[in-house]
Amino acid sequence: MTTHEAPALRVTGLRKVFGDRAAVEQVHLSVPAGSFYGLVGPNGAGKTTTLAMAVGLLRPDAGRAQIFGVDVWKDTVRAKSLIGVLPDGHGMPERLTGREVLTYLGLLRGMAPQTVAERTEELLQVLELDTAERTLVIEYSTGMRKKIGLAVALLHAPRLLVLDEPFEAIDPVSAVTIRTILRRFVEGGGSVVISSHVMALVEGICDHVGVISGGRVVAEGRLDEVRRSRSLEDAFVELVGARAGGVEGLSWLSS
Amino acid sequence: MAVVLIRMRLALLRNSLRGDRASWFVLGTGAGLVLAVGTIVVAVLWPSLLPAALAVWLMGWVFGPIFTGGGEVLRPEYFAMIPATPRRMAAALLAGAFASPAVLTTLVALISMVVYGWRFGPLAVLVALAAAMITLVTMVLISRVTVAVFGLLVRSRAAAVLAAFVTGTILALSGNGWALAVAAATADLSLAGTLVRLLPSGWGIAAIESSPPVALGILAASALAVVLLVSAWGALLSRRVTSAARGGVPARRRGPRPFPVVRGMHVVAAKELRTWSRDLIRVHLLSFAFFYAVVFTLLPVSFGWWGMVPFTGLIAVMMGAGASANLYATDGTALWLTLMTPGAERHDVRGRQLAWLLAVGPAAALLSVAGAAASGETWAWPWVAGLFPAVLGGAAGLVVLIAVTSPVPATDPHKRGSNPLNSGADEGGETGLAWLMLIAVPVTALPAAAAILIEPWAGVPVGVVTGALCAWGFGRIAVRRLTSGGTELLTLMKHGSAAGPAAREEETSAPDLPLGHRTAIIVCYCLAWLPLFPQGLVPMFFKLFGVQDRVWFLALYMPDAWQWPTITFMVSVGLLMYGYAILFPMRYKAAETERA
Repeated sequence: MTTHEAPALRVTGLRKVFGDRAAVEQVHLSVPAGSFYGLVGPNGAGKTTTLAMAVGLLRPDAGRAQIFGVDVWKDTVRAKSLIGVLPDGHGMPERLTGREVLTYLGLLRGMAPQTVAERTEELLQVLELDTAERTLVIEYSTGMRKKIGLAVALLHAPRLLVLDEPFEAIDPVSAVTIRTILRRFVEGGGSVVISSHVMALVEGICDHVGVISGGRVVAEGRLDEVRRSRSLEDAFVELVGARAGGVEGLSWLSS
Repeated sequence: MAVVLIRMRLALLRNSLRGDRASWFVLGTGAGLVLAVGTIVVAVLWPSLLPAALAVWLMGWVFGPIFTGGGEVLRPEYFAMIPATPRRMAAALLAGAFASPAVLTTLVALISMVVYGWRFGPLAVLVALAAAMITLVTMVLISRVTVAVFGLLVRSRAAAVLAAFVTGTILALSGNGWALAVAAATADLSLAGTLVRLLPSGWGIAAIESSPPVALGILAASALAVVLLVSAWGALLSRRVTSAARGGVPARRRGPRPFPVVRGMHVVAAKELRTWSRDLIRVHLLSFAFFYAVVFTLLPVSFGWWGMVPFTGLIAVMMGAGASANLYATDGTALWLTLMTPGAERHDVRGRQLAWLLAVGPAAALLSVAGAAASGETWAWPWVAGLFPAVLGGAAGLVVLIAVTSPVPATDPHKRGSNPLNSGADEGGETGLAWLMLIAVPVTALPAAAAILIEPWAGVPVGVVTGALCAWGFGRIAVRRLTSGGTELLTLMKHGSAAGPAAREEETSAPDLPLGHRTAIIVCYCLAWLPLFPQGLVPMFFKLFGVQDRVWFLALYMPDAWQWPTITFMVSVGLLMYGYAILFPMRYKAAETERA
């Protein structure tokens, strides 16, 4: 696949207010095509809200989102055919088994039945979900839910993957599998955006990072430009301006 | 430990008395006290009916918790890690269970036993006092054991259907229970008198009526029953706490049948049909609709009136529509997948309609044919044949339309609590939607009804055409709404109604309404149909079309000159009650917003 001129994902001036609290304020991000992009930030920084607005799951109060130059809110159908999404904590067709979910969504997308069957089989095998043939998604563990969500995002071979916290609650072995899948996806010309608050993870796999805090982007660019000779964790703490706690109090815990 | 649990129970009660719950609480306790005083009145005026009245209280304790979905405030799971033996825990939980307003109202009702004992002399009063205490404990225990047994079964389809049977029967009784009273007035009751004394609620009465040694024997036996119930409950509790939860999924013995290779809306329909049979909430809602329809129409048969039976299928369709009105919200945020699949909105709406038709239609059609045939009411055939397609199509259209336009946010299925039959949606809001359906669906059948009046069999083509038009047209509006406002719908599911101003308007009862008004609004919602439909519109049609049956319609029992005024009065009362319940909260909220 050839890399595109336009960035894989570009958001400009995104803003979202819940009640009287601005969850996201003036967010600008640019994800170059072919990059592995990590969006990092503390809890409640606005990562999930930003990603939901970027892919068309949450209508922004202001700002634009474009996927390979296609406006998400104007040319919705075309934009959506280019991306695969794993939102955080959203529901699934809970009363289907993993195989049924993939079959259902593949057929709903109008993919050829043969292709759907083959990809479903492969995805279930690679993600080790094929042992739970009788289990409905509602009975899945948190980690299994992430994996079936990832399979859903990959099923139609999108050009951009937007994954919200893909490694949360995933066991170490599966995490390695997923990292490998995502690396191969990028090597094959795809682009990936993940959000996380685990710095070591982002540092290990991403080549671009965006740091978001308090609903604003405080730094963005190539990994080396953002962290400069420090670890990403140190850079992050400095950028976010937080102070690490846990030194005082709780003296009764030592027995 | 018992004292701690009693305190905890009271604290939970205190904290739960906010908003709508407070009004339900006031209403429930008030109604309970009225019934309790009524029971005492029964003991004074019609003592022979007292055992039957007490049996009703027992039924309330047995079925009430199933009806309300558990009824456990102190859940044994909370205390699973407390180091105490199961028996000690059970005793403490039992003490906690007694700290409830329901127990107090029952206690008031049981004073009737003492009143009854008065007739048999001072010794019988003493027996009555002891018997009343034992009866109270027995009722509470039977209730707890029922909940515990139900809790073991609860994640099975059987339990969902059983709960639906109880709910359906209770609601049908509240609408058509008068029929039993009519039937009882004519039937022989000596056998029933023995029967109600055999129930645990009647043991005390039997003891009061017996000679002292026999009375002592009965009391001892009842006390033994209490001991047995306590140990049974303790055993059930420890089993329940250590058994794994399954999130409202029926157990599966075999692998699923392969997903059909189809396209477009048929894919969605295939998914939906699986959900209808695999989601206990949906199993419960649909079986409720059918049980309600069957019991409701069969009740008048108890005194020989078959006139409602042909319409069982129609009522099942309407109740099914009412129960499915929150179709989109009960799936929660799973909507994101529809939104992220290009062009899937149309397939989603149409597929859901198709699945709903397949889930409700065939069974309801069968009930209609069977009901019309069994009743022997030949006049009913054209009505059933014309109204059925009209109502079914109208409902299939309105279900998706209302589900898309006014959803009441529910908890995502995978985050639901331990009661698998509770969707977590605001119950007042869901009930409001159901009422909306019950009013809107019959309206879609008006053209067919008019055609039948002009020429009986002309109703069939008209019904088929309006049904198809409604299903297609309302579905089309739903598709448009989902395509243009799907994102907002998803936001509503994810963040609840606090997310946006548009969403806030959906709430039916504002949390800041004064308690008195809120209570009155609930009463109006629950009772307004009574004057409007059975006492107003139905007798109006009876009069217009010269039906001779007076059934239970007050207006038709009045002298001729008063019949129309009574009908007008009943219709206006019904409309006023609905108008007040719907409009007052809106106006109040608007006024409050202006002030703020």
